[in-house]
Amino acid sequence: MPPATVAAPDDVADVRAAADGDRAAFQRLYRRHADRVYGAVYRLAGYDHARAEDLTQDAFVRAWQKLAGFRHESAFGTWLYRLAVNVALMDIRSRGADPVSMMDEDDLPDRGETPFCAAERDELERAIGKLPPRARAVLVLHDVEGWRHEEISAELGMAVGSSKAQLHRARGLLRKVLGEAS
Amino acid sequence: MNEFEWHRQMRALREPVSPRRDLWADIEAKLDAEGPALSVAPRDRRAQGWLLAASFAGLSLLAVALNHQSRVEAPPTLEAQVPVNWKPTDPRLAGAAVELDAARVELQQAMQQAPHSPALQRLLDRTAKRQSQLRQMEQQAG
Repeated sequence: MPPATVAAPDDVADVRAAADGDRAAFQRLYRRHADRVYGAVYRLAGYDHARAEDLTQDAFVRAWQKLAGFRHESAFGTWLYRLAVNVALMDIRSRGADPVSMMDEDDLPDRGETPFCAAERDELERAIGKLPPRARAVLVLHDVEGWRHEEISAELGMAVGSSKAQLHRARGLLRKVLGEAS
Repeated sequence: MNEFEWHRQMRALREPVSPRRDLWADIEAKLDAEGPALSVAPRDRRAQGWLLAASFAGLSLLAVALNHQSRVEAPPTLEAQVPVNWKPTDPRLAGAAVELDAARVELQQAMQQAPHSPALQRLLDRTAKRQSQLRQMEQQAG
């Protein structure tokens, strides 16, 4: 589930102005929401800054193009976040990401004794970044972003059961990666 | 590690992250390259459809007026008096008749979406009058 956001008081006016072509208003929207958008696509892009920058730019360009169709039925931040996640997922799909192509369980060492207790945040992020793209997407959307399997399966074009299986697999891979690092 | 601890650590990752650099300049450059590509809302698209129909009717009227300036002006008649798909035998008038008929159809379609629009009704009446005038012209031409 996308994080709920309360519409910033300035968002409504700026969204309306931007939809009419006001570039300065759109820049203000960018300033207010860039970090949240960047954070989401950065995680989905496997903590790759260069790709996250490209995806963030694409998300804002697409938001500009679609602003006139924004109905204010949800907070702008929620709408933008969802759009940005879509951009990141499309990027994963366009790369023909295969869940087993980048990493296979057989290549990983057995789970360590202390897989998580000593893990630092950077270590955890690096481990997530090593996951295969689709497995990472499911893990990030479910365990980090808090989406439900129904939402994930709809966005990634897979069955709900597949989403659950991917999550199970991603968690297993992550534990092994962390076990290797610890 | 238990499930609770797992979820706590994972949720802790859900934080805004600042880009390493300001991306606005690149975004703005892309917007400039895209041009004024703001998408059009459905409401605006409907209005555009009406404007298109109105413009089409207006152009047709202008063509008729220019081509037949010297002809005798016929008294205005009602839309119902013009047979649907009526086509003059005079080839000079046939093109204008086809365009006027197409304009009438588009206006009628637009009125199905906005049945109480006075502007559309006026355009439709005017189109019908021009069709009647065209018919009068053909009769006078023999």
